[in-house]
Amino acid sequence: MNIVFSVLILIGIAAVITGFLTDEKRTWANILLNNYYFISLSMGALLFYSLQFITNSGWSAVLQRVPQALGGFLPVGAVLMLLMFFGLPQVYEWAHHGITETDKLIAHKSPFLNVPFFMIRMVVYFVLFLSVGFMLRKYAKLQDKNSDLKYYERSRYYAQVYIFVGAIFFSFASKDWIMTIDSHWYSTMFGFRNMIYSMYYGTAAIILVILFVRSQGYLKEIKEAHFHDLGRYLFRFSIVWGYLWFMQFLIIWYANIPELTVYYQPRFLGEWQIIFYAELFLNFVIPFIVMMSDDVGKKPKVLLTISIMLLIGLWLNIYMQIMPGAYGPMIFGFTELGIFLGYAGLFMGIVFFALSKVPLIPKNHPYLEESLHHHI
Amino acid sequence: MASKNIVAKFTDEEKLSKALTRLNDKKVNILDVYGPFATHDILKKVTRESRLPYMAILYGITAIILMFAFLYYTTVIDYPISYGGKPIFSFPPMVVLLFLITILLTTILSTLTFHGRSLIFPGKPADIMDESVTDDAFFLVLDQNYNPEEIKVWLQEDGADEVTEKEI
Repeated sequence: MNIVFSVLILIGIAAVITGFLTDEKRTWANILLNNYYFISLSMGALLFYSLQFITNSGWSAVLQRVPQALGGFLPVGAVLMLLMFFGLPQVYEWAHHGITETDKLIAHKSPFLNVPFFMIRMVVYFVLFLSVGFMLRKYAKLQDKNSDLKYYERSRYYAQVYIFVGAIFFSFASKDWIMTIDSHWYSTMFGFRNMIYSMYYGTAAIILVILFVRSQGYLKEIKEAHFHDLGRYLFRFSIVWGYLWFMQFLIIWYANIPELTVYYQPRFLGEWQIIFYAELFLNFVIPFIVMMSDDVGKKPKVLLTISIMLLIGLWLNIYMQIMPGAYGPMIFGFTELGIFLGYAGLFMGIVFFALSKVPLIPKNHPYLEESLHHHI
Repeated sequence: MASKNIVAKFTDEEKLSKALTRLNDKKVNILDVYGPFATHDILKKVTRESRLPYMAILYGITAIILMFAFLYYTTVIDYPISYGGKPIFSFPPMVVLLFLITILLTTILSTLTFHGRSLIFPGKPADIMDESVTDDAFFLVLDQNYNPEEIKVWLQEDGADEVTEKEI
């Protein structure tokens, strides 16, 4: 497996180098896209993990190592995101040198949108995510060694902290990193929307990792009933996705204020229209219709197809959030594909490394017995 | 009378579950199980295919078509008004209404279907076969199509507290 990951990473490095030699702006936009893509998968998985603690869920105890391993990408994602410092003017309009003299609106927003404060905020977000995430990992590991219930209580305490830190600050981070690309435009629900999206795609990533690990002969304890519950998660989140997607669109469409419609003009009516509808179908319409039957969620093959589709859908989603503002024309080539493959190799390498470091089934988890006998 | 049913009383749901497994293996037709609380295990072994979800999706499709026709008729044909320069026929503002009316009609019609099919209505006196079913006992109801003597022996073996014949 390591060879596959290394090859993918090498493809990614080659794509970055050729990208920088040909079109610097496009490469930075792609680096931001992939940083955000994989950070959002990690965040979504960790939010899922925390949710299991605060709801006292028993069924998921057997698979909780998987979301935790997905969260393992976060430190690497933080480093890669901080490297964006060198590409800020390429991607963000407000970071151009001297833009505040010609653009009144950006000048008005400049106390918030300036390079030092942007970087400070980014560091603060990552310090919060990583410190609480580290505590979650630490107590999960301690619990393996010691059957004392107090480690579970500590895990639950930090899960409660993480839900708040993750939900609030990942919303802010989405606004900072993605929404400010179109610096004249704003949407108050943008951050919340992207945070909820991350949980949707995080669940899809969890399903894919579980299916892969099972195909290698591990985690056979995860049975039909667990897949059924994960499938229900996907179905419920598909409704939430459609709801949030449509609410942002409807309000802007109805109000018809030029400074807001400027965001949807190229996407809904311009050359990006095909991706606009493709995204809607991949992320909402198809999962919603396919998963409507309750029995479908029990079938791993359906879950596999839907999850792969959702990960493509997430890429299209972020692609359409970033590219019209940061680059301009719709383009897809080796830069896009290669950088994505490189990041995917890195992500999978880290996730499977993190997964192999700890026992696949948590020991001493108070709900483990319930989870092993979970059936509906 | 030939239409008398076999009724077995169980006070332990584990034993009932065991009996149900055996009856399912022998392909005995299980009419119903009455009990004070629901258990997944028993539900799984008794449940037959319910056609209610198919009716629900049918109602949903009907409702969405009817509501669309209504909205189209009112906003485009009967009383077209231009709001804020929007096209007379525009789909986005319809979505919320379509969504809500579909859910409302599907819920109401499914509820009515369920009540009609199982012959219950508000004010109907409760149909309790035995007082203890509201307390601690499960009742398994079978018809006489299979060899009744054999079934009685199996039920006794699996730990039924009482096996009687009763008309239901």
